[in-house]
Amino acid sequence: MAVQRPMRLPMEIEEQEEGDLGSKRMVVNFGPQHPATHGTLRTIIEIEGEIVTNMELEIGYLHTGFEKLGEFRTYNQTVTITDRMNYLSPLCNNVGFSCAVEKMMGIEVTPRCAAIRVILYELSRIADHILCVGLQAMDLGAFSIMLWSFIERERLYDIFEDVTGARLTTSYTRIGGLFRDVPDDFADKVRAFLVTGRKTLREMEGMLNGNKIFRDRTIGVNVLRREDALSYGVTGPLLRACGVPYDIRRARPYLGYDQYDWDVITEEGGDVWARYRVRVRELEQSFRIVEQAIDRLPDGPINVDLPEVVVPLKDAHNAPEGGMEGLIYHFKNYMFGHGVRPDPGEVYFATEAPNGELGYYLVSDGTQKAYRWRVRGASFYNYQPFAIMCRGGSVSDVVSGLSSLNIIAGELDR
Amino acid sequence: MGLESWLQEGALTTRVDEVIKWSRKNSLWPMPFGVACCAIEMMATLSSRYDLARFGSEAIRFSPRQSDLMIVSGRIALKMMPVLQKIWEQMPEPKWCISMGACASCGGIFDTYALIQGVDNFMPVDVYIPGCPPRPEGLIDAVMKVQELVAKEKRLGVAS
Amino acid sequence: MDLQQSAYDLVRARFPDQVLGEGIHAGQRWVDVRRERIVEILTALRDEIPFELLMDLTAVDWLDQGRPERFSVVYQLYSLTHNDYYRVKAWLPEADPSIATASGIWQSANWGEREVYDMYGLTFDGHPDLKRILLPDSYPGFPLRKDYPLTGHGERYDFPKHTR
Repeated sequence: MAVQRPMRLPMEIEEQEEGDLGSKRMVVNFGPQHPATHGTLRTIIEIEGEIVTNMELEIGYLHTGFEKLGEFRTYNQTVTITDRMNYLSPLCNNVGFSCAVEKMMGIEVTPRCAAIRVILYELSRIADHILCVGLQAMDLGAFSIMLWSFIERERLYDIFEDVTGARLTTSYTRIGGLFRDVPDDFADKVRAFLVTGRKTLREMEGMLNGNKIFRDRTIGVNVLRREDALSYGVTGPLLRACGVPYDIRRARPYLGYDQYDWDVITEEGGDVWARYRVRVRELEQSFRIVEQAIDRLPDGPINVDLPEVVVPLKDAHNAPEGGMEGLIYHFKNYMFGHGVRPDPGEVYFATEAPNGELGYYLVSDGTQKAYRWRVRGASFYNYQPFAIMCRGGSVSDVVSGLSSLNIIAGELDR
Repeated sequence: MGLESWLQEGALTTRVDEVIKWSRKNSLWPMPFGVACCAIEMMATLSSRYDLARFGSEAIRFSPRQSDLMIVSGRIALKMMPVLQKIWEQMPEPKWCISMGACASCGGIFDTYALIQGVDNFMPVDVYIPGCPPRPEGLIDAVMKVQELVAKEKRLGVAS
Repeated sequence: MDLQQSAYDLVRARFPDQVLGEGIHAGQRWVDVRRERIVEILTALRDEIPFELLMDLTAVDWLDQGRPERFSVVYQLYSLTHNDYYRVKAWLPEADPSIATASGIWQSANWGEREVYDMYGLTFDGHPDLKRILLPDSYPGFPLRKDYPLTGHGERYDFPKHTR
């Protein structure tokens, strides 16, 4: 079957004949400020009674100019602005960006750094997926599940705050390593979270899996076919819910994901129910990965030993004991024109963010600022087929489907 | 002597203004204009751990016609500013505005072509909350400051 | 199978006069092509390798960098079957920055090209709905071009002021 294409929406309604109110066909505006749009999304829906006949999507209500800003910031400064894109899982953006620059420069991080990055990446994925499931439930009426998911996120925020210093805008990774090492009670806190997280997940599943209302509003709703998904560049849980087992962590492993024992989750059907099941089962796999990683957390340094990339520790060779030479050697990293300067070239590196493939395309001209910094946001390509997914469904299915896509406006508009 | 001696125990007298201001400040219904990362912290404040409902803000009304406190949380882009102004106009008087976070107050870390450098350039703001994003305690403090502003009003019906 | 080598061989064999060069950095290869027959090149890559996914479509402005043309449109392709990426770069001159659309080949090019038009002003012939996607429709200028300042030309102050 051919790939479905979006149709242009006729914005003008034809002249009605006298005496004919023509109330069956309407054009309704949904957003950008609406309780059910998660963020600043606007859709213009053409409905015939309750059935959606056509839909046009309008985005750009959160366009900040990240890519232009990245051309005026050094690489370590750019890490701080990557948090603000997918703000539900900011550590995923940080790690992805640092890995992209490290790939461009050919740097291999230390085993301890890789393990800590994996643990925090998976904890951010848990935060994102558990919130998505909570918001999906809230949109369909189950408000308490959203509150439960926020409690779990608060526990995760406590862990993030201990490790990185901030709840949400973490900016934790640096090129070649991390900001600082994890505190001593990190392993205990993470293990305690795994216990409560699994319990909450079981409670949420218990409330939703057999719930007739939830099942009726999600099974068969907003179906995305496999051919459409591939043509629209859809990745992540949406693609895996159509039956395509593509997960970058398994296909092109990075940061040592191939040493952990976990499964790639797929479901058949491509509807809202399949996406919900994929997210819930991926949460279980994330718990597994974190458990294995925290048990095997290796000792050692967290930063690579490259003085032109990572600021060296203050010891006998550097400031302040090393004298003038030591001082210069230490702060040369921060001087204008110095610091992290990759060779001229370009790289495209993608990680499996909670929403899908988060790709960074970096072009370097040899200076400390990127020449071009492009973010391939998963939400941008995941949102486009929404127009064809809603056709033929009812207006309430639009709400149910939108919450299952997990569109983050920061990543969509950048 | 006086009115109090005729009243039963448990009754008190005061001015009509004070009663109205007291009831208004303890039932501020927020209109969360949640746009970006600060919206997630605002949702965390409205959830069980920090619970803004303790301060009377139980009913989160996404309809501007039924709310009296607008919380602008997040960075306002060029396309969103007319929407923000329209929603502000749709709110009935008396109304107050909290500008949550650095981006809504002054543009934050984004000094770019597409971002409004502070909503107070185009809209009246009563309380600013610094932070990127501010902690939930910061938002609670801002709501308490708005409560103080409500209590200090001179003329009823019009927010000064 | 070395996917990147096979993709380059296919383009080189089928369209020898369109290839301007190739590059490699950090183990990733790309091919630079002219813009005239880009639709045929991309269709051949999609059907024969096959590259099922157009992962990303973007552009780079090479102003004052000594390149023969100013703009390059970058197509990031991914093959599910062979699990590898490949990059195709089409070069556009400053005087006439237009190229044929790829939205007939992959639907993901639809929004990707709208964003490139919005940010750089490059037009895509045959696109079903080429209008701005991230900035307001009336926005003058193309922000990601290198001669556009970071803070813009004052559009962000152009709103009415509401007072109490």
